[in-house]
Amino acid sequence: MLVLSFAVSGAGNCVTVEDMPYVYARSRLGSFVLPARCPHRGGPLHLATVEPDRARLVCPWHERASSVRRALSSGVPVVRNGNRATAVFPHDAGTPHHLTHRPLSADLAGKTLEDRS
Amino acid sequence: MSNVGPYRPFELGGADLREAVKRYTSNPLYLDNEEWENDDNPYRRQLRPQVVEHLDFDRVLGRDEILDYENLAAQRILTTIYETDLVFFPKSGLSDPAKWADFTNFYSSSNRVLGEMVRPALERHVFGFLDTEVEVSGKWTKDSLEAFLRTLEDRPQEPSKPESAIRNSSDPERAARMWLIQFAPDFLSEASPMIRNALGYYGEAQSEWFKVIIDEYGYGVHDTKHSKLFERTLESVGLRTDVHHYWQYYLSSSLMMNNYFHYLGKNHELFFRYLGALYYTETTLVDFCRRADELLRHVFPGTVDTQYFTEHVHIDQHHGRMALEKIILPVVEACGEAVIPEIVRGFEEFQVIAEIADEDFARQIAWMDGGPRNKELHAPVWEAIQSGRVSAPVAHIVEPHGELSNTHCHNGDELCHIVSGTMRFVSGFNSFQILEAGEGTVINRNRLHGAIIESDECVYEIHSVGDYEKCLS
Repeated sequence: MLVLSFAVSGAGNCVTVEDMPYVYARSRLGSFVLPARCPHRGGPLHLATVEPDRARLVCPWHERASSVRRALSSGVPVVRNGNRATAVFPHDAGTPHHLTHRPLSADLAGKTLEDRS
Repeated sequence: MSNVGPYRPFELGGADLREAVKRYTSNPLYLDNEEWENDDNPYRRQLRPQVVEHLDFDRVLGRDEILDYENLAAQRILTTIYETDLVFFPKSGLSDPAKWADFTNFYSSSNRVLGEMVRPALERHVFGFLDTEVEVSGKWTKDSLEAFLRTLEDRPQEPSKPESAIRNSSDPERAARMWLIQFAPDFLSEASPMIRNALGYYGEAQSEWFKVIIDEYGYGVHDTKHSKLFERTLESVGLRTDVHHYWQYYLSSSLMMNNYFHYLGKNHELFFRYLGALYYTETTLVDFCRRADELLRHVFPGTVDTQYFTEHVHIDQHHGRMALEKIILPVVEACGEAVIPEIVRGFEEFQVIAEIADEDFARQIAWMDGGPRNKELHAPVWEAIQSGRVSAPVAHIVEPHGELSNTHCHNGDELCHIVSGTMRFVSGFNSFQILEAGEGTVINRNRLHGAIIESDECVYEIHSVGDYEKCLS
């Protein structure tokens, strides 16, 4: 398995593994590792919004919705410690990866639990 | 079945909490001391009850407030509460009627129950910030947990901030003694928090857990018990070994490190977090103890006894492995993957606390080393106040000879100005400045300090300037 640490916000907040970019998303419903490319047509999921009355993430390109709750419970296992996220990807330990920066939508750049309470 | 009404969980807050904390801390055992150090009496701890009613324990301290006085007060109280579960005797025994009275008071039902009433609120107050510092999500499996934890084995270990602070200190021996004093709350009763989890009935992991404790306790041979090894380290550098002799020199974060394990061990719903924290500490202690051995021999060449640390270099290689392979993974097997997020959380939470403690200690050494400079800074800050450029709340204080202001810290910078008399201003173990009339010192935010009056009387002022650097422009 591939264990990677990356920033929650700011420089290096996107880790790309085998051509798939991932970011750490902090939504009002909780935080999770988000594949930043929509499986529909490759839309920028890091700029997605969260439906105000449902636990669904909406891609800005074709409004394809996906479950936030599923990402929280069944997504890539991850722990956030301050501004550092450490995730365990199912890839082999030596799989190449690189860090870049991607902006996050307001719904995903999120407030901490403390801010939300 | 008759109607018994709804279950009401225990809660204590607001004025009731304030009153309960005051009641607990006003026990004569916990009043201010007239000396800097406790003398062979493990039941006496200075909790400064005269101040607690001004503190709001009914909220969660933020990460940026965690070195404020509220945390120091709460950690001192929590240490005292937790340690009523531990057995301590004075080294001189209990034949002295006063010590016997303190013994019976400390372990009395009244003292313990009053402490238990306030413990949950205090724990929330000082450890609640971890809820926002650490978050765990996603689908964790036994395999992903093992991969995650094993990365610690490859993590490069570098000298910590305290180690650098000691090496670079203007008085490395003083700094190193202050460092060893910070370990005393943990090392003299080493593994006591762990033993909280040795009781009960939970399968093979329980026996593995017990093996680690057996190592810590020297296999029943007292001379090899880790606390005994640490006593020899203290003695070799001229420090006392009676429990909490140096109570007033503990930093809040040092108490916090030890209390964190008591907190996890006392509250068994946090058992799985203890597993993660245990793995982190046992694994990283190997390199830490190797460096500590080198550092102490560098500071005290030819005199210091470092067997405590060299023993851990060896045994903790086993304990890290045992924690993972014999305890954590079998527990996950037995209890299911639902417990994994808690294990991961404990692993990360302890790192947060260790980071706070490292920073706190390094800053305290800089504060102690900076004593002469802080005394020099009195002049420009006092000038800013006198000229009216700076206006700050002021307390006018008159104290008699021998009055000892037990150690504490402030939540902002302050200026101490001596109007008349002489004060010994203490900023750490063996660290002080003599302040005469017209002199004074800047007191940095969050830095532990105290004072004693050396003249017949001393009149002085404390100006709460907030940020002293703003007085310099």
